[in-house]
Formats: sequence, structure tokens, C-alpha cells
Amino acid sequence: MSIEFNVGEDTVRSLPLREAISVTPNTILRAAVARMRATRLGCAVVVDMESKPIGIFTERSLLGALLQHVSLDSRVVGDFLDSAFVMIKNCEPISRVWDAIQRERARFICVTDDDGKLVGLTGQKGLAEYVTDFFPGQVVGQRLGCKPWMQHREGA
Amino acid sequence: MNQNRMADKHVADVDDFSDPLSNYEPAVYGSELERSLAEETVDAILSKPYVQIDASTPISIAMQTLHRLNVSSLLVVEAGVLVGIFTERDVLERVSEQYELWEELPVRLVMTAKPLVVYECDPVGTALAAIAAAGYRHVPVLSMSDEIVGIVSPRRVFEFLESRFD
Repeated sequence: MSIEFNVGEDTVRSLPLREAISVTPNTILRAAVARMRATRLGCAVVVDMESKPIGIFTERSLLGALLQHVSLDSRVVGDFLDSAFVMIKNCEPISRVWDAIQRERARFICVTDDDGKLVGLTGQKGLAEYVTDFFPGQVVGQRLGCKPWMQHREGA
Repeated sequence: MNQNRMADKHVADVDDFSDPLSNYEPAVYGSELERSLAEETVDAILSKPYVQIDASTPISIAMQTLHRLNVSSLLVVEAGVLVGIFTERDVLERVSEQYELWEELPVRLVMTAKPLVVYECDPVGTALAAIAAAGYRHVPVLSMSDEIVGIVSPRRVFEFLESRFD
């Protein structure tokens, strides 16, 4: 099967999901930032009492907050949510993720179960890994950071 | 006498010559996309626009530039040479907890120095490997003379892939 076909048929369950950081709208900025740094994750998902995502706090949100010189100890994540909030059920096709990244400019996508509860996080990196699985020979074996040897062959 | 023997040897060698490429079988790809990943080069991916700043730029100005232009990364140059990359991740990792102390200092102190790069004549698969396997979201593209050509991101790579879908 081609990747074009599979993107429309495979569900989001097939994507590598990352465990999301869940916070509430009232989480202090410094606490959210500390968790993002500890897990090396670029966002924290804001959930309601039923663990349903209601927003996302990202590195971009943090950038905006810092430029306003707000105190990380006195403000909460609910005040700085990112407008690029996309939520997709894990039973939906991967083409939804693709469209969200390309058309809605989403970097992170909150993945939920059928009840709308947060089950994980995917995004640009998850989709890139999915594509790589189709073409391991053309991607995985590449030498990174080396100047191509063709240069040295010139004029040989 | 000796010269004649050498000449005969030379003729014999020519007769024995076999084309080393006679058994060459060109690569067979399962799809246009697979061929593109292997045979097209990074310069086929859109790598512009990109934003660059000088390494002496204050961190606050670099952050304002990220915010104002709605971009996630800036290439950092010194005397026209790429020396690093400054991204939203650097803000999170190195600046966020003590922004007031850092804001007037030069961005070279918190940038990611010597970033992984790809060359414009690398196969497209290299750019995807840098993102998917090595885990970098923004990868500077250099020419063979180490001049900055642009930057590739996941979105730009996906855009390229889409254009090669059958």
C-alpha cells in the first residue's frame, strides 16, 4: 500500500503518541514550565475536571508571557493559551493529523479517546516518524551532519 | 624485445577489459515518493523564507523577533557564518526561569551552537532523517561552500512529500 492510501486508512492509534503533561487552567506558570522542561516537551495540555482537553499551553505561549514580563509565580496557564489548539480522536484517520499540521499550522495535537478524554499527544514529530516507517531505507541510513562526498569527487 | 612484450601485454589487457558497470542495475523504487526521497536533493524542498540574527543580538530582541514574525527559530550568524540556532525550545530550556537576568545578554549565550545541518545537495531523505530520527524540528540548509541557503522544518518537508504523492 502507498503512504497516500495509508494516511487515509490508518487511524491515529497507529501514530507514535507521547505521554502528555496535563495541567488545569489554574496551574501556576512556573509549575507548568518546570514539568515541560523535565519531560522535554514543548507543551502542556490544559484539561477540565473530566480530563478532557480544553486548551494548550506551548512554548509559544510561554514566549508571549515572558515578553509581557509577567511573573511565572503569580500567573496561571489559563491566561496564556495557544490559539493553535487541535483535538483529534484516536479513531480518526491520520489524514486529519496531516491536515491539522499543514492547513491549521498545528504543531501539537491532543489525541483523545471516544469519550473525549486525553490519551496522548502527537504532532509534527509523530507524523515524521510515521512517514519514516514507510521508507526506512531512504531515511534511517542517512549520514547526518557530514558534507556530501560528491564535492571531493569533483575534478577527480 | 622487452618493449614488444609490454605492448603485447597491453593488448591482452585491453582484450580482457570488461565494463565494471555492465552488471549495474538501476535502483527500483516502489513509488514516486520513494524515488524522490532517494534521488531528489534538499534544494527541492522550500527552505525560504528564514530569519537570521547576529550572535550579539540581545536575547530580548531575539525573542521579540520570534514573536513578531510568528516563527519558531532564528539562524544565528557571526561574520556571515552560521554559528547557531535560537528556537522556542531554547527559550523554554535556558531563558524562561530567569528571563529578567538574561534578557539583555547576547543570544550566543543561550543559542544551540553548532546545530545539525543538511546540505542542499543531500538527498531529501536526509532532511526527514534529521527531523524524525535525530529529533530536530528546524534544520539549517547550507550550500557546499557553507553559505546559508535556508531552513527546513517538518511542515516544509511534508509539503514536499505532498507534492510527490501519486
